[in-house]
Amino acid sequence: MSAQKTPAARGNGRFALLVAVLAVSVVASTWLAVSIGAVHVALPQAWAIVADRLVPGLVPRTWTPVHEQIVWQFRLPRALLALLVGAGLAVVGAVLQALVRNPLADPFLLGISSGASFGAVVVFIMGASALGGLSLSAAAFAGALLALALVYVLAQRSGRLTPSRLVLAGVALAYLFQAAYSFVLQQAQSGRAAQQVLFWLMGSLGGARWEMLPLPSVVLAAGLTYLLLQHRPLNALSAGEETAVSLGVNVHRLRITLFVLTSLLVGVLVATSGAVAFVGLIVPHAARLLVGADHRRMLPVTALLGAAFLQLVDVAARMVVAPQELALSIVTALFGVPFFLWLLRRRSVDRAVTVT
Amino acid sequence: MRLDVAGVSVSLDGRPIVHEADLRVDDREFVALVGPNGCGKSTLLRTIYRALRPSAGLISVDGDDVHRLPWRESARRTAVVAQETPAELDFTVWEVVLMGRTPYGRDAAADEERCARALDRVGLAGAEDRVYATLSGGEKQRALIARALVQETRLLLLDEPTSNLDVRHQLEILHLARELGVATLAVLHDLNQAAAFCDRLYVMSSGRIVAGGPPGEVLTPELISQVYGVRAVRRTQLVFERLKDESEP
Repeated sequence: MSAQKTPAARGNGRFALLVAVLAVSVVASTWLAVSIGAVHVALPQAWAIVADRLVPGLVPRTWTPVHEQIVWQFRLPRALLALLVGAGLAVVGAVLQALVRNPLADPFLLGISSGASFGAVVVFIMGASALGGLSLSAAAFAGALLALALVYVLAQRSGRLTPSRLVLAGVALAYLFQAAYSFVLQQAQSGRAAQQVLFWLMGSLGGARWEMLPLPSVVLAAGLTYLLLQHRPLNALSAGEETAVSLGVNVHRLRITLFVLTSLLVGVLVATSGAVAFVGLIVPHAARLLVGADHRRMLPVTALLGAAFLQLVDVAARMVVAPQELALSIVTALFGVPFFLWLLRRRSVDRAVTVT
Repeated sequence: MRLDVAGVSVSLDGRPIVHEADLRVDDREFVALVGPNGCGKSTLLRTIYRALRPSAGLISVDGDDVHRLPWRESARRTAVVAQETPAELDFTVWEVVLMGRTPYGRDAAADEERCARALDRVGLAGAEDRVYATLSGGEKQRALIARALVQETRLLLLDEPTSNLDVRHQLEILHLARELGVATLAVLHDLNQAAAFCDRLYVMSSGRIVAGGPPGEVLTPELISQVYGVRAVRRTQLVFERLKDESEP
């Protein structure tokens, strides 16, 4: 037994390799995203432009100012936002799946995305004054938090939270919030604004600018750090509430923290890019297939996988019907729905759903 | 190590389930809690491990009110093997056992040592990388006992640990629990088994503890007919025992 490597040690090499491969794909897909578009910028040139911006004078200038503007002002912030949104939504999905012990949980299922969209739509259509001067991000966050708080209260029964009630309450509230923002949209004065909002609701990174990046970066970095530090309580919680309690986890406090954290993340991300569907559902499952359920490994893999996935999705969204763009949710659904159906056919899901 | 339950009442959804229960478990003692379905025995057990709060009364482990201890501290004193099986999310056996270290600070090397030893002890050495959900019922219970072992508590609570198992695996699990040598409170529903394994037992009925003591004194035909509404008859019948040679882990 002692000469043999322990299971944890056996997995470490594989995990490190996987993280390295994923990190390379994140960089590669971003590079691709910066190069591809209506105006093609050769890969080496795209690289040179970015390098020159980071360290001026590092490479001889061989590009036109137009190319520089396209790469630096439009494509790079958009590509970086894609990484943040992909990683963030995927991590939120992973946390929610642990929280409600339901493999089908994602920000949509629990009404959080709809709540965030509602907040954003109100500010979008009716102006910031409608919600007392809240910014778009703040309104989306408030909407997300409101949705989660309502779900949380509705799903409680004598102080206990059952996953099945949580999901049912979430689904019901998602419809309510959708009805609410549809109403606001219908009442909108300008049909054009309404159409813009509808497109944005289905997910679009078209509005990405540099100044949109710091807030989601900080929230995601802080959230991910916290979650990684809490990987053991998270594992215990995903094994069941009573198990977590018997292992010394303050379940009530952990749940509240996770609720606030996920709504903060969803709010911030929805404010930048609308509600992108399916990333939060499928990416955590893919990560679990690769490294198992232990959050210490699963969370970093989920984040990297989500980032690379949404980057490629955005490239596809820009390219497929160029010069028009597809909404991101259309592309993610194209991958997401088959994956979802495949997931439904797996035996373990059947069991998990009936248990909850 | 000593568990004291004094005057504990528990309500669920405003409905009283347990009324003023008193019981105690002394160091290294194996105590069973029996009673008909719905009598409140599992509810009482869950209150002891803090899944529920009592509406009245005091539960103390080693003299401290369990419900006032920091969560980690109570988990360092009390481990649970329940029916509720974790891991719809594809944890491996190793990961499930390692969860037993949740209430402690991390020490990777020592923790791996502990897990390996615990798995060895429950006869699951070599099954580390198997996915918990794919184990048989008996193996799952053994993995959970291994988890309780690495939790290094001196009180073990068992909530119908054998209810899904065949008779051989039932005996195996109960023997395993007994041999751990820690104070144990086990909710069991098989009276014969309870009588065979415990030092003392408590009988619950309609939320109240109606009798307690050594099984020979407590399990009288009168009490059983009163509590379970069945006639108990002593007669010669098959008694199941483990075959020592083949199933020793």
